[in-house]
Amino acid sequence: MIRTDHVSGALFVLGGLLVFAMSGDLPFGSLSFPGAGFIPMIIASLLILIGGLLAVGGGTSEPFRDVDWSDLPHAAMVTAITAGAIAFYDSLGFLLVMPVMMFALLVIIERKSLIVAGVYSVSISLMTWWLFSALRAPMPSGPFGF
Amino acid sequence: METTIDSLLLGFSVALQPSVLIYAFIGCLVGTLVGVLPGVGPLAGISILLPITFGLNPTQAVIMLAGIYYGSQYGGSTTSILMRIPGEASSVMTCIDGYAMARKGRAGAALCIAAVGSFIAGTFALIVLTVVAPPLATFAVRFGPPEYTALLVLGLIFLSYMSSTSLLRTLLMAVTGLMLGMIGIDTMTGHFRYAFDIPELGDGLSIVPVAVGLFGLGEILSTPSKNIVADVIRVKLRDLLPTRKEWREASMPIARGSVLGFLVGIIPGSAHVISSFLSYALERRVAKNKDEFGKGAVAGVAGPESANNSASTGAFVPMLALGLPTGPVTAVLIGALAIHGVAAGPQLVNEHPDIFWGFVASMYVGNLMLLLLNLPLVGLFVSVLRIPYAYLYPLIIMFCIVGVYAVNNSIVDVWIMLIMGVVGYGLRKLSLDPAPLVLGLVIAPIFEMSMRQSLVMSNGDYLIFLQRPVSLILICISAGLLALSAYSFFFGRKDWRSNMADAEAGETK
Repeated sequence: MIRTDHVSGALFVLGGLLVFAMSGDLPFGSLSFPGAGFIPMIIASLLILIGGLLAVGGGTSEPFRDVDWSDLPHAAMVTAITAGAIAFYDSLGFLLVMPVMMFALLVIIERKSLIVAGVYSVSISLMTWWLFSALRAPMPSGPFGF
Repeated sequence: METTIDSLLLGFSVALQPSVLIYAFIGCLVGTLVGVLPGVGPLAGISILLPITFGLNPTQAVIMLAGIYYGSQYGGSTTSILMRIPGEASSVMTCIDGYAMARKGRAGAALCIAAVGSFIAGTFALIVLTVVAPPLATFAVRFGPPEYTALLVLGLIFLSYMSSTSLLRTLLMAVTGLMLGMIGIDTMTGHFRYAFDIPELGDGLSIVPVAVGLFGLGEILSTPSKNIVADVIRVKLRDLLPTRKEWREASMPIARGSVLGFLVGIIPGSAHVISSFLSYALERRVAKNKDEFGKGAVAGVAGPESANNSASTGAFVPMLALGLPTGPVTAVLIGALAIHGVAAGPQLVNEHPDIFWGFVASMYVGNLMLLLLNLPLVGLFVSVLRIPYAYLYPLIIMFCIVGVYAVNNSIVDVWIMLIMGVVGYGLRKLSLDPAPLVLGLVIAPIFEMSMRQSLVMSNGDYLIFLQRPVSLILICISAGLLALSAYSFFFGRKDWRSNMADAEAGETK
């Protein structure tokens, strides 16, 4: 039976091997003058070693099929909406993107009414804009200068 | 001693300035809210609010951010006692007897004991910190690269050994953090490493997007709003005072929790979480009437709450004196100081005494503020809990994006935060704790630099770590801890984690 430690151990072994594959052009140097690839390769070796030990000794961890994935649709939707907001954040600016992101989260995921979601999103975004502007925290301005 | 008192007076002259007091107050207030709200831990709170400190001087900034940390330890008890939901991981044990006291109509007394215990423990830990940190820093000034390498190795192994999950999982996460810390330009040779031709990655992965992603966004992704039900026990102000019997029952657990918490706090690991577990186990062991535990024992609230506050203050000792983070929160605080151009560590006491002593003095003031804030305003904090989570998390996501972007004006950082959020979600599913990863990321540059410098110094001779007394002692302790863990791993013997898990299972039955 596949268990969570088998999966995580195998993933980290693969990660370590990937680091080795990507480190080809980094000089290892010598012990008396270690190069840029010296420590990364030691760490990648440790990743493989510890990941392997975890996978080998993972017989008592939770069976992988018992992991509760019921929150996956929620997580996927939040990730997608947030990614959309990030994609336009720099070009369209805070005041155009943030209210739309909050509105989308409230309406699409939380099924809130359009009016409540609209009022909440716009008012909270404006208050946050005001707060961060007052605190001189940098925020991107869109094509309209806000 | 006289010098310490003079220095502390200097600290109070900084901490009591109105412009500093206000930020200590804001930090404590926000920290309490962060502790009260389930799903928003101190790490996410500090990371998200880091950009707010950009307009402040380093003293004001670090005082405010530290206020969020120890304020969250106070606030975490409120949800534990009134809702049986730990607002913060270190308040898990308070849920058991705190909520049981609340069900018996003693919610006010439980809140008061938690607040007073936290105040006493926090102040005790501060006094020890005041005495211990400066001489430790003076001693650490003599550390060279081999000592620092050995100290960092010991820190990572201690972290893994003390972690409440398995040693291998913790070590794996810490090593992953070290690996992520290798991204960017190698400072010794100028090579671009693992940056995929993205110029923004030249300076490496910043701690803020990683921490906010793993702990802020990652928590939101794994918490659907339908799972958060706000059922809060009402508490009246006049019911806040415990009876004389309850005070008596609380006094010794507070004293024991204070000492135990501080000792655990200075050791790397999720000290404030572990200390509350250990304190609960200790109180149950020394109690005359063990059957009361789980049914509203005063000691079950007083001990763990005192221990977690003492531990969160104790964690500042290695941070201030050695520049070493003992957990992800202190790691972010070190990063915050660096953003303000101040390096935490042995030089801090000598080069920036106003920051060091101002910070220490502000914690005395902050502890008092928290005591005064938490009891009368408990009704206000409880009302915050009634805000539906469905409205709260979009706001937190907005703060995450704004906060991360503001650190470097970089949209790449915001993408890193999103990726780390997804990684954090995945790690939770695989029962892997992301905290050691953040710690590994922070110490990676110091570790790499000191390791390579040591080898250059010794002309490639590894024995340099065994030839210098301090590093030899540290390496021996590391080897001892690894040997202990290997023994329980290969021979199937129960280690302290298994014993604690068994004890905890016994309590909650």
